[in-house]
Amino acid sequence: MAQRYDAIVIGGGHNGLVSAAYLARAGLRTIVLERRHVLGGAAVTEELFPGFRFSVFSYVVSLLRPEIIRELDLPRHGLDILPLDGTFTPLRPGEGPSGGDYLWRVNDHGRTVRELRRWSTTDAEAYEEYGRLMVDMARFIKPILSIVPPDLTSRDPRPLLPLGGLLRSFQQLTERQQAVFVQLMTMSAADFLDQWFETDPLKATMSASGIIGTYLGVRSPGTAYVLLHHYMGEIDGAFRAWGIPKGGTGGISEAIGRAAQAQGAEIRLEAPVGRILTRGGRATGVALEGSGEEIEADVILSSVDARRTFLDLVEPGTLDPAFEEEVRRFKFRGSSGKVNLAVDRLPDFTCLPGEGEHLRGAISFSPSVDEMERAYDDAKYGHWSRRPYIDMIIPTLVDPSIAPPGKHVISCFVQYAPYKLAPELGSWDDNREAFGDAVVDRIAEFAPNIRDIILFRNVQTPLDIERTTGLTEGNIFQGELTLEQLFFNRPVPGHARFRTPIRDLWLSGSATHPGGGIMGANGRIAALEVLRSRGRRVA
Amino acid sequence: MTDGEPMRTADGGTARAADGGTARAANWDAVVVGGGHNGLVTAAYLGRAGLRTLVLERRERVGGAADTSELAKGARVPTLAHTVGRLRPSVARELDLRSYGLSLVAPEVRAFAPSPDGTAVTLWADVGRTADGLRAVSPADGAAYPEFDRLVRSLGRFLAELASETPPDIASPGLGDALAGLRLGRTFRGLGAHDARTITRVLPMAVADFVGEAFATDAVRAALAWRGVQYCSLGPWSAGSTAVLLMDSAGNDGGAAGQTVFARGGPGAVSRALEGAARSAGVSIRTGAEVGAVLSRDGRVTGVALASSGEEIRSPVVVSGLDPKRTLVGLVDPVALGPSLGWRASNIRQPGVVAKVNLVLRRLPQFPAAGSDAEVLLRGRIVVAPGIDAMERAFDAAKYGRVSEAPILEATIPSLVDPALVEGAKAGTHVMSVVVQYAPYWLRDGDWDDAAREALGDRVVGVLEGVAPGIGKLVTARQVLTPLDLEREHGLTGGHPLHAEPALDSFFLWRPLLGWARYRMPLDGLYLCGSGAHPGGGVTGGPGQNAAREILADQRRGRRRR
Repeated sequence: MAQRYDAIVIGGGHNGLVSAAYLARAGLRTIVLERRHVLGGAAVTEELFPGFRFSVFSYVVSLLRPEIIRELDLPRHGLDILPLDGTFTPLRPGEGPSGGDYLWRVNDHGRTVRELRRWSTTDAEAYEEYGRLMVDMARFIKPILSIVPPDLTSRDPRPLLPLGGLLRSFQQLTERQQAVFVQLMTMSAADFLDQWFETDPLKATMSASGIIGTYLGVRSPGTAYVLLHHYMGEIDGAFRAWGIPKGGTGGISEAIGRAAQAQGAEIRLEAPVGRILTRGGRATGVALEGSGEEIEADVILSSVDARRTFLDLVEPGTLDPAFEEEVRRFKFRGSSGKVNLAVDRLPDFTCLPGEGEHLRGAISFSPSVDEMERAYDDAKYGHWSRRPYIDMIIPTLVDPSIAPPGKHVISCFVQYAPYKLAPELGSWDDNREAFGDAVVDRIAEFAPNIRDIILFRNVQTPLDIERTTGLTEGNIFQGELTLEQLFFNRPVPGHARFRTPIRDLWLSGSATHPGGGIMGANGRIAALEVLRSRGRRVA
Repeated sequence: MTDGEPMRTADGGTARAADGGTARAANWDAVVVGGGHNGLVTAAYLGRAGLRTLVLERRERVGGAADTSELAKGARVPTLAHTVGRLRPSVARELDLRSYGLSLVAPEVRAFAPSPDGTAVTLWADVGRTADGLRAVSPADGAAYPEFDRLVRSLGRFLAELASETPPDIASPGLGDALAGLRLGRTFRGLGAHDARTITRVLPMAVADFVGEAFATDAVRAALAWRGVQYCSLGPWSAGSTAVLLMDSAGNDGGAAGQTVFARGGPGAVSRALEGAARSAGVSIRTGAEVGAVLSRDGRVTGVALASSGEEIRSPVVVSGLDPKRTLVGLVDPVALGPSLGWRASNIRQPGVVAKVNLVLRRLPQFPAAGSDAEVLLRGRIVVAPGIDAMERAFDAAKYGRVSEAPILEATIPSLVDPALVEGAKAGTHVMSVVVQYAPYWLRDGDWDDAAREALGDRVVGVLEGVAPGIGKLVTARQVLTPLDLEREHGLTGGHPLHAEPALDSFFLWRPLLGWARYRMPLDGLYLCGSGAHPGGGVTGGPGQNAAREILADQRRGRRRR
């Protein structure tokens, strides 16, 4: 006799946990089934090396929706986000106004503008105007994050209503704001920034946020809108939604998990779902891998990506072949890797030697737009970037608890590392260490002592990310965030409303609108839609 | 100074026009700046509606980029554009271009894409024939072609509707905008759920993905993807290149293969026909008359001033066929434009990457891949794009301000379909017209001097040698037009043949600028009718026809007000 629940959530990543919390909160008997022994999916903390705890994959929180923090009362469940201050862009000897310079932007706007003046007075002026404009843009975009995308082809006008609201608020923008919004949605980050700035490291570093997790370059159209994300964090600043969680990224998952449990949700680890059970075109439960144990429920939310859900977990032949074709078409193309370092000293940058504030924020290895673009050129033809873009964080400087006294943890997010390598390169298993070496060499261009301070190196290739977290092709967003895979096209045109062709089976992961990042919005909207569909009063 | 009484002569003769026509008081109802094909289309429609219209052209003859020139004795070449298959049928019909000498030839072969290895992909007007040919390369690709062609045509039909509409006024929508919206909505639903969803998905997509979803063979993908990047600073992996491909297939029966139509006498014949239609509609044309400024008072245009003489020509309506940046930044008083709009106009992207090489050949070159059917296969567009990655690598160079080592080429041999082009030359002579990508306007090292120009010419002939060995020895005359030449000779800012990069950030509602996509420019009475306006570039007459419709609508409103 199988156990029975109101709701099953497949996958204990942050979105799965958020949906579970909201479902349980509305009184549904809910269980979360996580394949691994740790909670969090890509938002996990693990002790990869004795005494050193790493945010193995995802490493900063930027977009965790404030309403989730509030509604689930996450601080009470242990969420503690330590603010990161600033972005430091080191340069090499001979580069920059003073030769062997750096660009250091901090949250203190005045200080940043003074810093920019060293480079370009016009850029310093433009930076203020740009900042104001982007904050306005972020305010306008924000509601879109919580919209259920309509199907333009459906004859039911009701789902289209939110668009009407959008159009109205769009009309209230000034003509210039409207124009800039359109540019953000259509331009490349580099082209967009060229309109304001001339300082190369500034443009390179800002445009970097446009390519995180995508298989696109800073000159690729469609990379500009991600520039807004930084400012989203900024307007949510009051809720401290921007920074690193105490105890590593796993801290977020654990907090959300505790919140879900507090609402009565059950969480089972090492419970891999092997099959979604259906009867008469509706989902009835799941069967666990190995044991074959069956668990029944009225609704099933899958927070794993669309390809896994529809092509692996659903019984073949259940879905319309045309739909399966659309799912196969959905692009993943993981493009990023992660290099985790345990060090016994801090890196020493030639352009700004010694320890100091500049190491406490993000350290962006993005000296020029061309170097960013060349890193992408490598990837386009199936090679990992020989001189990659790196976003480095030294979390131990704000949270010493995760390493032995005096020692440090360094987290390096690296692009590009294309999941599909050119045939002549062989598999990622043959390239892992060479890729790791390229990352260390890249760092050494700016901080030569890096080679001497490494105690331990852990390289996560897209293949490793796929193997460990189950993210198809190692795409950290459960599917590329390209224009054609956003909003009402995510994950499949006509099926962007969290519902699936199988009744009572729902999607609640990053594969849905509004996409990836530790945002939680997907899981929240999905849960609220499920509840609405069951006639429950929500939130 | 002679009086500028509009001339009603239909017999052409720009020389006669050149010494005529200055105006004291507003003798003109409308002045069209630039006698490119779009300017002529607008002028013709205005003339037919009874407006006293004057066209001012900087060069010695009208036509702009739709031009034929004599490269060697008796051998005439398409100076820039070489096919005219996208000319909007309603323009040709309404202006009765046939009776002004326009005669079109459409070969049964649309495109022939030879590879150095001696194989080739051939796209025919006949879908079945193309599919059969592709089966030889890849059975799966052959089987996929008809459905791909159907999809391109279906989406192209929708985009043709979009192209014929004036982008709606979103700031203060009126009844007309609502109706336009409904029309488009109906057409959108008319696509059916599948195609409707497909178009929202594929428009912003990279053309490499679009063709990759249907075809397995690299050569086939490249031959089809070429039209998605032609004339653009885009590579096949650039988002939005699918929209470019589909717009190219809008409003013609191009389908997946694309249109290939020649004008007898070269593209200049289109301009001659438009000129004839305009003159017989009472339009006056002055060549050798470069406009230096658009004159305005209190936010309203009052006329134009010529660059050289400073002569002022008064008119309540000024229509610019020039590119939007040249128009707004170059001709309009910056104070009247205002700082915000000035900033936006100065940021209109015009990254020219196209060069043109025209050749006179002693005889028809040998393409091994064409075998014995050369006479037939070489009549269409000859596309030298060896693969998706090869195209992307060619594009990469341009990103860093360098000319591609192995540029992508689209060549035509118009003398095959129109022997009259070489009737004055030695027997057996042929002319070849080659569109070259990528050759960026902005060079990182050095500039477009004669050395760079000739080096580019040599490189192009070198690439041609790869598919047509020995062609170099056949060249008796060569003309190389760099992006800088396109700017200097034809006034194309940045050397961009399409006036403004037709990427996703310059489409429909926001081409050339959001809020100014309805052909009306920021000064009352100033209009844009060139390729920089919706629906964009190419020898289509589309922007010119749409602009004329809006100008005449305003005239009627004006009359009602009076």
